[in-house]
Amino acid sequence: MHRRFLIPILLLMASVWAVAQDAAESEEGRFQTRYSVEAIDDATFYGNLSAPLPTVLNQVLLEPAFGVRERNRWNFTSSLIGLTATYSDTSTQLRVRETYGGLSAGDFDFTVGRKMVLWGTGYAFSAAGVLDPPRMPTNPTDRLNVNEGRDMIKADWIHGTQAISAAWSTAALAPAGTSLHDTTAFRYNVLVRGFDTSLIAGHDRGGDSFGGLTFTRVVGQAWEVHGEAVWREQAAVLLGAKYTVSGTTFIGEFYTAPNIPCYRDPGVSATAGRQHYGFFSAGKARLRERAGWKEWGVSGSIVANLDDQSYTGVFDASRWFGNHFSSYVHLEVPRGSTTSEYGSAPYSTATSVGIRFQL
Amino acid sequence: MSNVNCFLRWYLILFLTGLLLASAWVCRAATPGKADAEALLKQSDRFRNGWPSYVVHVKITDFEAGRPDEEHLYEVSQKGTEKTYVEFLSPREKGEHLLMLGDDMWVYLPDTSRPVRITPLERLTGDASNGDVARTNYAADYSPVYLRTEKVGTVECYVLDLTAKRKGATYQRILYWLRAEDTRPVKAEFYLTSGKHIKSATFDEYGLSDGQMVLQRLTLYDEILHNSHSVLEYSGATPRALPDKLFYQGRADRF
Repeated sequence: MHRRFLIPILLLMASVWAVAQDAAESEEGRFQTRYSVEAIDDATFYGNLSAPLPTVLNQVLLEPAFGVRERNRWNFTSSLIGLTATYSDTSTQLRVRETYGGLSAGDFDFTVGRKMVLWGTGYAFSAAGVLDPPRMPTNPTDRLNVNEGRDMIKADWIHGTQAISAAWSTAALAPAGTSLHDTTAFRYNVLVRGFDTSLIAGHDRGGDSFGGLTFTRVVGQAWEVHGEAVWREQAAVLLGAKYTVSGTTFIGEFYTAPNIPCYRDPGVSATAGRQHYGFFSAGKARLRERAGWKEWGVSGSIVANLDDQSYTGVFDASRWFGNHFSSYVHLEVPRGSTTSEYGSAPYSTATSVGIRFQL
Repeated sequence: MSNVNCFLRWYLILFLTGLLLASAWVCRAATPGKADAEALLKQSDRFRNGWPSYVVHVKITDFEAGRPDEEHLYEVSQKGTEKTYVEFLSPREKGEHLLMLGDDMWVYLPDTSRPVRITPLERLTGDASNGDVARTNYAADYSPVYLRTEKVGTVECYVLDLTAKRKGATYQRILYWLRAEDTRPVKAEFYLTSGKHIKSATFDEYGLSDGQMVLQRLTLYDEILHNSHSVLEYSGATPRALPDKLFYQGRADRF
């Protein structure tokens, strides 16, 4: 059979299957909807700027999200970002974080559209997350929710605790200035003896092929370990662990990757060779044990380039006011020589303060 | 005459032996052994998990120093004793969800870069922990031993001592009071591996939902800080056919 007919026929068969299942199933709340709206006003103050730039960046973000699901068959999800940034001038953008439709039929799921895929297991770094949004070790939680998904067609076969996924992602609709390629990727994920393990393989059009392995595992009462090993021209390895004690969570990661374009950070020279990184964070989501501090959350982290011995220290504090409002402080302190990865930042401190509304 | 005496003597012996055996049987029935404790625990689980596959809404209100402090809303989907999926619905947690598969648990946070594996200790955070919401089939998680019969107020209760039999269990030990009349849970005390009494619970209200008598209100008391408690209100419990795919650990997009 000609390959171009295969996908439409598969989709048609899945639709017929879904309709047949609809008819057989009893009525129980046909549509389910979910929505959320988030508004953030964030001001970042740069200390000791080494370039003639404004010292304050103000960003106002409005992030509506909506999802509708028809039983367990069809679904549509959209999440947008409206961003107004005032720095040397004022600019307004509308970004599509995710917008995709899905069809679920038997053991198969089909998805078309822009979607966030999270295949990597690293917290601050990832080599195996070939379709994931980029990780920023100084901001691994994407605190302003500005990451965008990849435009893709994806099919998943899910059976129990194992799944096979096939995805084709186009770079044609990617934001200008990104270095994405059209990517074809496959993943087999299985939970066996507590190991959540994945095998990943794929190819970037006009680029290279890659293959890798990821895992996570809980050990004892307080430890979680995770890792990735990927071959892409050369080996990239991530090993990490999380430890919990008295409600405080510690995360440590070691990451090494070849200095090739898909792994290279902007501050690293193309001639610098293989890079090695360390990451450590400690955080407590809620200071429950201290009277009056229950609404507070604090965390601190450090990310270091072990080759040029530069690092950035990061401190976060947040406080909730009722069920809808919160405020936060995010502080970044880069250190190192002016030619190093983190030391080359044009400021000595970046302090962000903001207020967030969630509905 | 001697024949009559002999007959009466044998009759008396048989009567007393029968009485003794009957008493022993009655006493055995009144004080359940290991097998009975397991049966009691299984029966009591039906008050918290009315159907093999169902959905229920849970509203948790936290109280600090007696005053309502925070509210959290969850939709809990449960299939069998091994699969639970919890969707967080309150504004400050929207987009988060929790998955329990046997001994393993994941939390999906919209602001982290991946599904996060939850360690057993992380299940204990807060007055109402992840485990309190997601792991309610005690017969699957704990080995029970019958301790005694005891009155809680005016209610006659069986007291069971539950010990964790698998690593996925939320607590190491639970003292569990079940109403003797129908085995519905009345109160519980929760202990850590260290032996520390961490929480207590009272099972306050039951009601009919879709023809099944199920728990509708539970209060959890913090035994460490003592000044806080959480009220869990269960509503809209309905049997529902849930697809296995809902419980697949790699599916980070839940809607």
